[in-house]
Amino acid sequence: MAESGEAIIRLENIVKRFGGAQALSGASLAVARGSIHGLVGQNGAGKSTLIKLIAGLHRADGGAVEIDGKSYDRLTPHLAEELGIHFIHQDRLLVPTFTVGEALFLGREPRIPGTPFLDRAAMRRRSAEILERYFGVSLPHSALIAELSAAEKQIVQITRALIADPKVLVFDEPTAALVRREADLLFQLIRRLSAEGVTILYISHYLGEIVDLCDTVTVLRNGRDVATLPVAETSAAKIGALMVNRDIGELYPKSDVTPGEVILQVDDLVLAGRYEAVSFSLRRGEVLGLTGLVGSGAKEVVRTLFGLDRPTGGTVSVKGETVFSADPAAATERRLALVPEDRRSDGVALDLSVTENTTLASLGRFSHGLINRGAERRQTEDLVQRLQIKTDGVDALVKTLSGGNQQKVAIAKWLSRQSEIYLLDEPTVGVDIAAKVEIYRLIGELAERGAGVLVLSSDIEELLGVTDRLLVLFRGRVTRQFISSETSPDQVLADVTGAYETLLHAG
Amino acid sequence: MATVALSSFSRGVARYALVAALATVFALFAALAPGFLSGANLLSVLVNNFALLAIVAIAMTFAVSVGGIDLSVGTAIDFASFAFVSLVLAGQPVALAALGGLAGGALVGLFNAVLIAGIGISPFLATLGTLFVGRSVQQLLTNGGNPVYLPPAGVPEAFRFLGHGTLAGIPVPLAVTALVVAGAWLVLSRSRFGRVALATGIQASVVRYSGLRLPRITAATYILVSTIAAVVGLILTSTVTVYIPSSGNAFLLNAIGATFIGTTYDRHGRPNVPGTVLGVLLLGIVANGLLLSGLNFYWQQVGTGLLIFSVLAIGFANRKAAARA
Repeated sequence: MAESGEAIIRLENIVKRFGGAQALSGASLAVARGSIHGLVGQNGAGKSTLIKLIAGLHRADGGAVEIDGKSYDRLTPHLAEELGIHFIHQDRLLVPTFTVGEALFLGREPRIPGTPFLDRAAMRRRSAEILERYFGVSLPHSALIAELSAAEKQIVQITRALIADPKVLVFDEPTAALVRREADLLFQLIRRLSAEGVTILYISHYLGEIVDLCDTVTVLRNGRDVATLPVAETSAAKIGALMVNRDIGELYPKSDVTPGEVILQVDDLVLAGRYEAVSFSLRRGEVLGLTGLVGSGAKEVVRTLFGLDRPTGGTVSVKGETVFSADPAAATERRLALVPEDRRSDGVALDLSVTENTTLASLGRFSHGLINRGAERRQTEDLVQRLQIKTDGVDALVKTLSGGNQQKVAIAKWLSRQSEIYLLDEPTVGVDIAAKVEIYRLIGELAERGAGVLVLSSDIEELLGVTDRLLVLFRGRVTRQFISSETSPDQVLADVTGAYETLLHAG
Repeated sequence: MATVALSSFSRGVARYALVAALATVFALFAALAPGFLSGANLLSVLVNNFALLAIVAIAMTFAVSVGGIDLSVGTAIDFASFAFVSLVLAGQPVALAALGGLAGGALVGLFNAVLIAGIGISPFLATLGTLFVGRSVQQLLTNGGNPVYLPPAGVPEAFRFLGHGTLAGIPVPLAVTALVVAGAWLVLSRSRFGRVALATGIQASVVRYSGLRLPRITAATYILVSTIAAVVGLILTSTVTVYIPSSGNAFLLNAIGATFIGTTYDRHGRPNVPGTVLGVLLLGIVANGLLLSGLNFYWQQVGTGLLIFSVLAIGFANRKAAARA
């Protein structure tokens, strides 16, 4: 199928900067008409920027965009749709309070000819026809989007695209929210659409899927395409190796700490439908890594430890005492700290000052009836100094700080609380490289002071750089444990993406 | 350099728009309204236009601080008033009856707390429901809305103290207001509870992720709001020696207005006690001044509305300018 000729989408030497950050530095991509083309790369490699460019959501700072042989220097979302390019995104959300029928035709409702009135009969007929033909299902036309399962929502998204007779369908991480059987149905559908002549661009973290499904794969790394290969001539392991950047310098100032007593012990922890039988221990002075794809359960394990989710089985003990309650307040009292992934929503309050954020979790220490504002201020100034938080004073609102400095405030909050177990969820997402290094150093410092640190990250090099041990979760289970210093990124990547499983199946 | 000077200048204006409005209005009426500046009139402004509304507005300020609103402050006033009068009529000592009145008001807050913190209904809808339910309950309790009078002969002197007494020459309502204002200021801007309440209003999710018990904070706030409002029920009843069903709602809109006018006084636009007090003063002076100028009641409402618009507009426009700079 891949041989059917010229490129329907051609991107040449695309450059895209966001402020100081270089998201794409000369990336090229050519998708042959009628093929199923895979696009892979680690977080931050530039996949989503590239896709948004095709969707007309970003404009390139340099390079050429050609669609169907015609060059465009200003794509808009509307123009992209007119050219027949449609997007299926796991969280490009449909309006939850719309009905299936309304969502399917939003923005291009058929009218009764010659009148301004919606042709509801035609809408119902057309959607039922497509749903039956491609999915063999009928969704109630008047059901609310909010009532549908993840798979059904995706069906609605795909149907919405199919109604417009697309030439190219772009799938962005489509299986992240699906169970295995649903994913298999999706693959069947994609193959069928391909056979009917629709070009598919398929973005996924699951290298196994890419190998199963695609004709060609392009690997992005650091904003550049490092290889485009026919899938028949490669393997998941080779693709994984290409994704990993090997020439990274001394980014990780890791200090040697001899681990002390066990501070956090997790036994057979279960959250039904999310993860199963997760067991591990964390010692004082140790940095433990946790990684896995979206839906692997890694994120949910961290949430459970902080009391945000209630486990359905197993035990968690802190310093030898079993913890029962699922409640962040109780977790905090046990000296647990969570630096959440969504920093701007959960980690820091943007409209509170640096001081107010820093002491929010530890106000008890500063108040005897009334808050001792002098002591509060001194503590904050200490931490601002120690973490080298760049701010226009401790009274500045946190929204005036850069991402990396906001993250340091989120960590300072727990230092002020004198926490001993730190759960860091994607601690360096959205911060620049200099701030990253400072956060890595801070992680090392926490361990030196006798804290236990658990880092959840999807950046594998980072994890290997800062942790002592590393656990990999895949589809709800801990599948591997690595000693970080003896492990290479592609070994981990194989487990994270399930390439290892694929190989087993193949062999 | 010029932009720096300008931005700090606009921040200053944003903050002092309220004080400037107050001064302007005061000067205007001093010049135009006969008798406005007399000591008797100014005292009457404080006792009749300021004291009670200030307490209700302070209560409202706490509700707005946690990011909510309380439309049922009037219900708390009424319940306090009803309980106070009923207990006195039943022959209970006045002090005990007053405590019963506060409890009656707090009950309304407890009901709100269950709806908002327990069930998760939005504060606007929950307290609107309480307002309606409270009105019906009062009608049921009073045979369809008949006032409950204390017989003039049987009113204990102590009962009238809250409304008519003086403390060191200061009318008791004013003294109580001063006490409530001072206490509320300490709690909201100096205590742990106040800090967490403001943080909840600004970004509740961070409060939860900081290991603080969000439902507990919200519940405590709504109970506090109703209890403060209940104080007004006691003073009001003591002043007029009668309980009139659903009369407390008269304060509602002005209390909301004063609270939001008051937010322009804070550097970051947060609800704050001094701002609320200035807002109440502004509304009180305008009402009194327009009355003395001989304008009728309907024009007073127009004047009040225009005033709220202009203070908010100046305050927000300047803060926006400051944020841009």
